[in-house]
Amino acid sequence: MSDAQAQLLVMFIKAAAIYGGLLGCAALMTLAERKFSAWMQYRIGPNRVGPWGLLQPLADGVKFIFKEEVTPDGASPWIFRLAPLMAAVPAMLTVAVVPIGGEFQLFGVTTQLSITNLDIGALYVLAIGGLGVYGVILGGWASNSKYSLLGGLRASAQMISYELALILGILSIVAISGSLDLLQIVEGQKGTFLGFLPDWNLFKQPLAFVLFVVATFAETNRHPFDFAECEPELVGGFHTEYSSMKFALFFLGEYCAMIVMACLTVTLFLGGHAVPYWADAPWWIEAGAFSAKAGFFLFLFIWVRWTLPRFRFDQLMHLGWKVFLPLSLFNLFVTGAVISL
Amino acid sequence: MVIVKRKILSLWERLYLPEVLRGLSITFRKMFEPRVTRQYPEEGLPTDGVTRGQPRLVVKDDGNIACVSCGLCEAACPAYAITIDGQETDRFIEREPERFDIDMLRCILCGFCEEACPKDAIYMSNELELADYTREALAYDMEKLKRPASAMRERMDYVKKINDRW
Ligand code: SF4
Ligand code: SF4
Repeated sequence: MSDAQAQLLVMFIKAAAIYGGLLGCAALMTLAERKFSAWMQYRIGPNRVGPWGLLQPLADGVKFIFKEEVTPDGASPWIFRLAPLMAAVPAMLTVAVVPIGGEFQLFGVTTQLSITNLDIGALYVLAIGGLGVYGVILGGWASNSKYSLLGGLRASAQMISYELALILGILSIVAISGSLDLLQIVEGQKGTFLGFLPDWNLFKQPLAFVLFVVATFAETNRHPFDFAECEPELVGGFHTEYSSMKFALFFLGEYCAMIVMACLTVTLFLGGHAVPYWADAPWWIEAGAFSAKAGFFLFLFIWVRWTLPRFRFDQLMHLGWKVFLPLSLFNLFVTGAVISL
Repeated sequence: MVIVKRKILSLWERLYLPEVLRGLSITFRKMFEPRVTRQYPEEGLPTDGVTRGQPRLVVKDDGNIACVSCGLCEAACPAYAITIDGQETDRFIEREPERFDIDMLRCILCGFCEEACPKDAIYMSNELELADYTREALAYDMEKLKRPASAMRERMDYVKKINDRW
């Protein structure tokens, strides 16, 4: 096997493994969501399909495929079909640059456990991730339904407002690590801080961390900011008119976005795949550490959803523009001042 | 008109995040508390004497039912679920039903038949489940309605007790 062939093969294997992992995780998240919500409410949750209900996502998938597809009268046919894809695909694309583990050898090729490593990884994530909102808006608009349209509009307003906080959070990390390359950002978080803490950006940028985490909730349309869906007043929001696999795609997109956001939070603030106090850990331990950290944030998404009541839309906007934006700007300003001193 | 006074929140509460953490800690603790779910088909529903399930005919210890086919239950039934044809018998009670049908799909489990019966022949059992593939299968005849007195004892004692109060 020539070198180029080996590299191509390794590329394919990595892509298959990471995308398989992502979709598998998204499926498992639907189960975890139901399990954890059940436990928090003294219930048991799905336990009929397979051991502990592990095959439930599969059963749900089969059910979705066999459901009737309804396209409402007056819906814009192509956009209506395209929107679920536009919601799901960007979320999946962003995972390509997340460094999941360190270097390892496969077929004589030394490679990194991430599909690719762009030197503008942070920018790529923001640019592609931002596209996800199109799926939601177009889906709402193309359905020819007032509820869907309102849901789509709300989602767009919300995502744009909170993307600001998100970007400013990333900016302050970029400022202290001096690179847009996610791998560089992770490398910069190895070692210790103040002698005993792991050198994670979380400890250097606590305010940015809190703002970023809250903004990820708004970005992924999760409780307590789920205004794109809002079952009580908009009958399900942008996906009111969607059924069958198209509906499932929206959910796949939402869960993939959650996973990507969790990975991003870990990469930016919790040292990514860096294992605290063990600088040269083997790649599989690093990947395990990364999964554990990301798993915690995924659990946080579910945990918060089943704990907090929803905001009101005006409260959300108030929080986004009058609290988050000034605080993020302030944080960035202080960061810049400290760095330049 | 109701005037709702808003609670004045302290700064700590208005910061929101500490209260969020408090809420999260509560839900986290709840995850480890005992479950209240009843695994229904495997775990039966709890029943006792008060349970008013489907009406059944009580088979006495001598193997007969006490019904004299007086038709009072048939007349009392608001859903017209009961159909009775009587016939003579050599037993001391002289009359017994030749046919005693209850259409379980019509029965509304009201318990009027139990109250109407002068011979304590029909009681509401603790059987709550009713499912089959055809309507015909759910029109129960006398054989399907018979239950030994031992199975109905709890309900019979309970009815006797509440009747004694009057
Ligand atoms: S329980 Fe009510 S409805 Fe049912 S058979 Fe008796 S009287 Fe009729
Ligand atoms: S009221 Fe009692 S005795 Fe009379 S027909 Fe009905 S079950 Fe038989």
